[in-house]
Amino acid sequence: MGGRAAPMHLPSVFMGINGSAQMNRLFLKLAIAAAAGGLLLSHPTVAQILAPEPRTEHVEITRAPELESARPWLAIVRWTTTNPRGDDAHYGVVYYGTDPEHLNQTARNPIRLNRAHPETTFRVRLQGLQPETTYYYKVTSVDATGGGDGVESSVSHFTTPRAGEVINNYPQPK
Amino acid sequence: MGLAAALGLSSVPNDLSAEAGRSKPIPNPVPAYNPYPPGILPPDLDSEIARVQREVQFIFNEALKEWRALPPPIVAGNPPTLQGSGYDAVEILGKLLNFDSNMSPFRNEACGFCHMPYAAFSGPIPSVNLTMVAYPGTFHYRANKRTAQRYTYSPDFPALEYNATQGAFFGGNFFDARSTGYKLQSADAEQAQHPPVDPGEMGFPDTACITFRLSKSVYRPLFEQVWGAEFDIHWPPNTEQICSTPAGAARFGGSATPIKLSATDRTKANNIYDHWGLSISKYERSNRISPFTSKFDAFLKGTYTLTADEMAGYDLFKGKANCNSCHLDGRSTTLKPDQTDVGAAANTRPLFTCFGYANLGLPLNPRVALFYETTPDCFGFTPNPDGFGYRDLGLGNFLRSGPHSGPNPNSGWMQYAPASDGQMQTTTARNVAMTPPQCPTTEAPGPYFQKEFFHNGYAKSLKQLVHFYNTRDVYPFNVTSGHCPEGKTEKVDCWPRPEVPNNIDMTMGNLGLADHEEDEIVTFLQTLTDGFNPANPNVSSYSDINTFTGQCITGGMAATQGNELLIPTPQPLPPCAPEICGIPPVPGPKPVP
Repeated sequence: MGGRAAPMHLPSVFMGINGSAQMNRLFLKLAIAAAAGGLLLSHPTVAQILAPEPRTEHVEITRAPELESARPWLAIVRWTTTNPRGDDAHYGVVYYGTDPEHLNQTARNPIRLNRAHPETTFRVRLQGLQPETTYYYKVTSVDATGGGDGVESSVSHFTTPRAGEVINNYPQPK
Repeated sequence: MGLAAALGLSSVPNDLSAEAGRSKPIPNPVPAYNPYPPGILPPDLDSEIARVQREVQFIFNEALKEWRALPPPIVAGNPPTLQGSGYDAVEILGKLLNFDSNMSPFRNEACGFCHMPYAAFSGPIPSVNLTMVAYPGTFHYRANKRTAQRYTYSPDFPALEYNATQGAFFGGNFFDARSTGYKLQSADAEQAQHPPVDPGEMGFPDTACITFRLSKSVYRPLFEQVWGAEFDIHWPPNTEQICSTPAGAARFGGSATPIKLSATDRTKANNIYDHWGLSISKYERSNRISPFTSKFDAFLKGTYTLTADEMAGYDLFKGKANCNSCHLDGRSTTLKPDQTDVGAAANTRPLFTCFGYANLGLPLNPRVALFYETTPDCFGFTPNPDGFGYRDLGLGNFLRSGPHSGPNPNSGWMQYAPASDGQMQTTTARNVAMTPPQCPTTEAPGPYFQKEFFHNGYAKSLKQLVHFYNTRDVYPFNVTSGHCPEGKTEKVDCWPRPEVPNNIDMTMGNLGLADHEEDEIVTFLQTLTDGFNPANPNVSSYSDINTFTGQCITGGMAATQGNELLIPTPQPLPPCAPEICGIPPVPGPKPVP
């Protein structure tokens, strides 16, 4: 074959990670064509990384925060909001503590939104808890870049069970 | 079953026939490295290594025949193109490279050794999948830490990027994204460049060894036909000696380039190594490996009607179970019975991945071989000085350029390490259930082919995989694997605590699925296996699927498959080693224990 590929010395302008999807696709095709003498396929699936949706203007809590389950050392809190949209990756955030006036600890967990859902259920793990202890908490949610969804609950509370006991408000169905 | 029958042989090459009775692997020239306590290595390991070596050789020989059957090359046009035979030439070259056992110091391990077609190009040894998780390298029995990832559709993952708008990483190859694609803009091609020089895998000490061995290969003319004649390199007299010594040997003093080449020759060798990766990637992207020929694809086309169980599973997959939030199928999810699916069909062929990363909260698997490799081998290399102080932080570790990963080529990404700890690639769900035809399922009681699932092989059946997604947060216990309380069954109603408690994804964990609904999702996952031919639905059309010559397994239950081989995690578990958890920015806001 006469079309041997030249070594690729890529212009730095093409190496940006935040370029448009169109630029990425173009660059990918150029790079592969250059490297393989045009023998290789392009990568149409780059388009499958979805662009973010417009954020919901007014996100509301539609199901109040509640205890999903609790062990002496672990509690899971869940709540539901209207779909905040924006980034597919979101975080549920719980501020908690044993004093309702000083919620001095924070727990946060990622979830991935589903675009077709009118609502989104957030779930957050509170780890390293003490048994038979009452914890106060309130919740909010943020997108992957830290932007708040504009919702914040009132303060609720739960009490962890004693050693060996379990609270499970969402057991597996038979 | 005899080898000939298993291979459907009418044309077993003579050299394979001669090898058929061999039950021991190609011997290492030095005593094996075996730091493992009794019971960690599977008892049939040597004979199974030998089996896979024979199968690899068979496929390699078939590829040689394919090459020799190619028409004479016609180079035409500008840019010059291999007219008519270009696709076949690159694919066959990639196949030859992938199944050439000479591409390892002891000439005993090709890429394909850990990636065989009948397992969707993942791990081919059932007993390894049941026990040590990672596959032995060229120097037996060095091994790494994770399952062998499937090749299928890996070329479709774009180069790794941090999308600042969405605050997340997308693309890359490997569970921890360490093959970024930053240079070739093909994460998959760069992925193919890692195992040849990974001490725990094929284990060359220098990437130039690939070029050196290629220069002596019988199919070098094909390589030159595709990429040009660029092997005019002056090799030092000790090159073969260097390339016959596994990476990590103390004599190399940590050098990644122990072969002393001129700058010009090093550049040539590097270019050939790039072409090695690109050729293998083309083979992986081809219809031989990633053909979009599953039952599901036929369903999309309208040439196959999903059975009631398959359809129920699909409805759950994109509905109540919410699987397609991450394993994108191009459709929307309907969580509630009265909700209407308003999602548009995918505008590309659905790959059942979002190309993203998530920490699923899997427990530490104490059977992973790497935990035991704490003493030096005869080459002076110690694979894992930290022993059970090792933690698999996945993407977070890569972003810190941590041990057992690769250098992060973008310093701006390091800041995202704490938010990425524990995250592993969301792999495509396609072909997760592929098995050899004679072992038609992954699920007990079978006859089944034992696979392993998730990055650390913790799940041994798809039933367990789905059950984990469904009940991780229903049955959590503050114990490590092997220590579930009396009366509880690990993986059934006891899930040990996560290895990495930070950043745990809460999209899953309590899906509210009944037992039969889990089974329906497993049934749906089986529709994602390539090689379905509506005209002849009982015979797979997948390339090289009929190359398994081992044994199927029967008996037991999918829910507890492999549980008889659970072992207790050491107690107390040593804390995360400073070499891993002490690299700034350290895991947080709470440390990884």
